Amino acid sequence: MILQSIKIALESLWANKIRSFLSMLGIIIGVGAVIAIVSVGTGSTQQVTSRIANLGSNMITVYPRTPKGQWGEVSSASSQDKFSLESTDYMEKFCPSVIKVIPVKQVSGRLISDDINVNATILGTNIDYAEVNNYEVGMGNFISENDHRERRQVMVLGSQLAEDLFEDDNPIGKKIKVNYEGQVYMFDVIGVMKEKGGSIGGNLDDQAYIPLSVAMDKLTNSDYVTSYIAQAASSEKASTAVNELENFMVKFLDDEDQEQFRIISQDEILDTVSSVTGTMSIMLGGIAAISLLVGGIGIMNIMLVSVTERTREIGVRKALGARNAHILFQFLMESLNLSSFGGILGIGFGWTAAYFLSQYGDWPMVIAPLSIGLAFGFALFIGIFFGLYPAMKAAKMNPVDALRYE
Amino acid sequence: MSKIMKIENLEKTYHLGKVKVEALRDISFEVNTGEFVSIMGPSGSGKSTLMHIIGCLDYPTGGKYFLSGQDVSKLNDNQLALFRNQKIGFVFQQFNLLPRATILRNVELPLTYSKTNSGNKKERAVEALEKVGLGDRLKHKPNEISGGEKQRVAVARALVNHPSIILADEPTGNLDSKTGQDIMKMIDRLYDEGNTIILVTHEAEIARYARRVIHLKDGLIDRDEVIA
Ligand SMILES: Nc1ncnc2c1ncn2[C@@H]1O[C@H](COP(=O)(O)OP(=O)(O)O)[C@@H](O)[C@H]1O
Ligand SMILES: [Mg+2]
Repeated sequence: MILQSIKIALESLWANKIRSFLSMLGIIIGVGAVIAIVSVGTGSTQQVTSRIANLGSNMITVYPRTPKGQWGEVSSASSQDKFSLESTDYMEKFCPSVIKVIPVKQVSGRLISDDINVNATILGTNIDYAEVNNYEVGMGNFISENDHRERRQVMVLGSQLAEDLFEDDNPIGKKIKVNYEGQVYMFDVIGVMKEKGGSIGGNLDDQAYIPLSVAMDKLTNSDYVTSYIAQAASSEKASTAVNELENFMVKFLDDEDQEQFRIISQDEILDTVSSVTGTMSIMLGGIAAISLLVGGIGIMNIMLVSVTERTREIGVRKALGARNAHILFQFLMESLNLSSFGGILGIGFGWTAAYFLSQYGDWPMVIAPLSIGLAFGFALFIGIFFGLYPAMKAAKMNPVDALRYE
Repeated sequence: MSKIMKIENLEKTYHLGKVKVEALRDISFEVNTGEFVSIMGPSGSGKSTLMHIIGCLDYPTGGKYFLSGQDVSKLNDNQLALFRNQKIGFVFQQFNLLPRATILRNVELPLTYSKTNSGNKKERAVEALEKVGLGDRLKHKPNEISGGEKQRVAVARALVNHPSIILADEPTGNLDSKTGQDIMKMIDRLYDEGNTIILVTHEAEIARYARRVIHLKDGLIDRDEVIA
């Protein structure tokens, strides 16, 4: 009887190809949207997560912050001149979940090589900076312990900066003049970094790197650094490390309200990203659910039309011996066919959309079998749910009235 | 001769709001196996109502109806459907073929709703269509054949389950008189082959094909006439 009903239902769907297709549209879009959304969500999250992981390993950055001034009162001095070099040692001792603290002195100056000159950010830092940032040397070397200790005027260039200054020439061994606040310093280029792209502190490729001691003692003649980069012992300990650093800074700066510093961790960024993608998924999922619902109502509508149109057919079938269950199954199968066929088309549609979106957004194309199963199952459910009422209406028809229907 | 059906004091009253329509009042008659009976009467006399009850499509509001010895008023919906499928073959005035199905599928339809032997469905449908002279039109759709041919398909469909009674409600009503006569001759032949036939009509010439005419008037049997 079920097979018979499927056959009858398929025949009648095929007889109304265009109408069937139109009434399936809601289901097609709904199912397609679910699949595309889940795919885009997982693909882009994977992409962003891997990019963030690529920024460095368990990095936490501590910046100074200028406190807000009260009404009529000059804002208190920035905490910049409290970020001392010595505090890195205290920080490492005070915070057991932090394995390393790297001081960074950031200045900007004009870099001159022959006839090309470029304004660039110059970072004074030490050997650990490259490691913590997962930043690899492309040519030559990064700043060494000796460079730092002996205050050698050596420089490592970000890949973009090297290209800007030297184009296709090999920069290693070349000289660069640095104009910093009117003073000119000569540097030897000892290395060029590999391409890396954006990071927490900006685009690393556009920056130049010099020994911290040179930046502090020679260029700026300052005792204070611009920021600290701390590395947590592991990703599990990252949030503990943040807490420890917070406690330390509060005590160290005597800043109970945490107004003078700011701590940004990779985990925090990840959390933000995943909460954003989460909200987006919920929103888009809502759209998908609504379009599935609308699709269901569309199916119910078309089924009601179909039942009314075929009142006489129902009467004839009943006169020839069809039981109520036969009629019920026939129409239920018809709406199930509509929704499942719509579901299959929707899977194709969603897959295609996911593919093009992944090409466009340059993330991996991930189709979760669960999302297909879920979307298709939901489509079937909608077919049954919204088909039930029209099918029951058909099954309950009185054969005499149905036969008399014009 | 054995009785195929028996009606005792049958009543059917329709309630249209406050208005009561007594479509059938105290109808009693019997039909034997192999009889050819016409039910004749003017429009509104209750012919269709009676035919719906005989065809197990509707319940009477009073009296008794026995088909093959079974009290039909005691059957539930599903049992009625089974009775219609096994014991009744309908021929309607408007043919009532399914427009999208082929002629073969139309004739197979009663077999798809019967539980028994669905294996030789096609064979039996073809056999029935050959009997009405349409064995070469199996793949045609109803809109590709004439009215007379449609009614012959309907007759084939009525025959295919070897019913106890063939019920024809104004079978010539939508046909011209020549084609109507052809259909009546075919029905007459089915009678000759031993089928029990109940024919509903308001036309005296059509009613005379039967061997017995029950005259209906205002929901009552006016006359039960045997034609020699
Ligand atoms: N479903 C119905 N509801 C109310 N009245 C009906 C219904 N069917 C038939 N009738 C009435 O019953 C009477 C007999 O109708 P019917 O059996 O169709 O007569 P016939 O077929 O002889 O023309 C008529 O008065 C008709 O109006
Ligand atoms: Mg009538």
